[in-house]
Amino acid sequence: MTVQITQVILNGVLLGGLYAAMAAGFSLVWGVLNIINIMQGSAVVLGSYAAYFAWRYTGLNPLLAIAVAGPLLFGVGWVLQRFLIQRVVAAPVLITLVFTFGLDLVLNNAMISFFSADYRKIEGVFPTAPLTFGALTLPVDRLLAAVVGIGAAFALHLYLHKSRLGRAIVAVRMDRQTAELMGVRVELIYAMTFGLGLAMAGIAGCLLAAIFPTSPLNSAHYLHIAFVACVLGGLGSVLGAVAGGLLLGIVESLGSLFVGAEYGTTVAAVILLLMLFTRPQGLMGRAGYE
Amino acid sequence: MQRRELLVGMAATLVAPAIVRAQGAEELRIGAPLPLTGPLAPEGQKQKRGYDLWVKEVEKSGGFQIGDRRVPVRIIFSDYQSATPRAVQACDQLVTQQRVHALFSPFGSGAAKASSAIAERYRVPMIAPTASSREVYDQGFKYLFGTFTPNETLTEPLGDMVLAKAPTIKRVAIFSRNDLLPLALSAEMKKSAAKRNLELVFDEKFAIGSLDFASALTQMRGANPEWVFVGGYVNDLVQVRTQMRDLGLKPQVLTMIAGPAYEEFTQALHAAAENISSAAWWHPAVRYEGVDIFGRTESFVQKFQAMYSAVPDYIEASAAAAGAILQLAARKAGSLEGPALRDALASLDVMTFYGPISFGPTGQVERLLPPVFQIQGGKPVVLAPSSIAQGELRLGIA
Repeated sequence: MTVQITQVILNGVLLGGLYAAMAAGFSLVWGVLNIINIMQGSAVVLGSYAAYFAWRYTGLNPLLAIAVAGPLLFGVGWVLQRFLIQRVVAAPVLITLVFTFGLDLVLNNAMISFFSADYRKIEGVFPTAPLTFGALTLPVDRLLAAVVGIGAAFALHLYLHKSRLGRAIVAVRMDRQTAELMGVRVELIYAMTFGLGLAMAGIAGCLLAAIFPTSPLNSAHYLHIAFVACVLGGLGSVLGAVAGGLLLGIVESLGSLFVGAEYGTTVAAVILLLMLFTRPQGLMGRAGYE
Repeated sequence: MQRRELLVGMAATLVAPAIVRAQGAEELRIGAPLPLTGPLAPEGQKQKRGYDLWVKEVEKSGGFQIGDRRVPVRIIFSDYQSATPRAVQACDQLVTQQRVHALFSPFGSGAAKASSAIAERYRVPMIAPTASSREVYDQGFKYLFGTFTPNETLTEPLGDMVLAKAPTIKRVAIFSRNDLLPLALSAEMKKSAAKRNLELVFDEKFAIGSLDFASALTQMRGANPEWVFVGGYVNDLVQVRTQMRDLGLKPQVLTMIAGPAYEEFTQALHAAAENISSAAWWHPAVRYEGVDIFGRTESFVQKFQAMYSAVPDYIEASAAAAGAILQLAARKAGSLEGPALRDALASLDVMTFYGPISFGPTGQVERLLPPVFQIQGGKPVVLAPSSIAQGELRLGIA
């Protein structure tokens, strides 16, 4: 039983690494722009397609396809924010939520039209034999994807706290008016932030494409994961999103073991509710932050 | 001016149904609600491909024969976006507004059952090409006909075959997608296992849309099953098999329904697909000499490959068969009237490219023998029925 639980926790950590990458960008956009980006799941799927087609036509490893999908999604995010979302960014959160919901419908249905709803899978890139440690096994593809996912989230955290532009983003998140008075160009920061959020989605998409099949139908599931991990970890905190993602992965895995495979997500939802009752700011968020 | 436009509009409204009815004498209209978007889109597209191929063949042959005359055929598709209530609405609209002469049911047992009441109410024959559950046909309806045999016709031959090959097998694990067909198949598998005194050591469901099965499979590995049965669709089954390999879970027999029937299953798994056993209502390896428009099974497969550059699976074949069966019934009935078509369908007893077709008292096809097959050397090899067997069951997986 101990081996089984250890294996399940390991499975959860590997899964959580992917969740962390999905949640980091979502959390950043929510924290800085106060926008619940419903399009995040579809953006992850778009990143997966970028990785899939890069592999299909050039044989590029999906982990290296990050170099393509990240900038591509950054550009998409930047343009969307600058020319569309900017028009409603000051509106109440419900308006921006509905707006990104509409964008999600457009993007998702466009992907169904262009790529069809069929599942596409990247194959033969990683060794199929897992690493074994006694009775424990670690699939190579999941291990690499989890490490890169957590690494990307940490890189984003470092960028926000060490670079000049990153510190400007943090400043806008903390106090938009003051940042503006200090000479920060808020519109540019918003576009930059939305671009970074979607770039993280693109990176997460590449990692997921390395393991799971890709289809536009996955987008709602990915959005759900990003949302729960983000709220568990705490809004606006990239490290919180990492913690939330890891926690969600472990809770889902243990829930699946102890309650049943079909209830893994339900257990995670119950944990989310408990967290909202007892610590609404999440694991690493600040109380009162909206 | 406004009054004139109003009068023209009213006149058009009154005349339009008459025009539609007048057109009705010119062609056969079949209503086909399909899940062309949403989660069931892959299955909906497969169904559509079968219909489209049949229509193309009918057009090539000069039209649809009714008695001694020929008329063009038109399928009116309606996308119900994978939502069953919309499928029922679509059926209603197809009958009342489009005045279709027959219906092909929506995908799967649930949607077919829900929409069959529309066919019954308006006395329009409905052929269900993808509904297998007995509950669909136990409603006492007279206008519903199905081309899939009941689910136990898939699990029972598998049970016989596995125990004949490996009589020492005792421990069975069942893992199923929480969805109509996979659950129904798992329920039948449980009955088949109990009938043979096999011990059920693991019995779990997974949620629709799940991508990660590692925890459940870790638990299954702990139960040490000798025969694993997984019910789901191709995407689920590819993931389950991949993650079984990652966790070193190697039962003597691995049965998966319904993914291995699809070509994309073996393409996705390569060596990991080897020795996976399955069953489906039809397989390209079957050999029948039909009296329908496609004739021999090989001829159907060739025509399908020429049109789509792919090998047909059981959904595509069953959808094409629905058209071919309707065609045979209309020729016999000599009429497109619902009751006449219905009576002709009910009394049909013919051989088709799909297999022998005769409908039982509930409307479900009864003489068809679903083939059991196993992936061997990267290809599906038919193991049963013995008349078309190409090989024997192999034990063990990679």
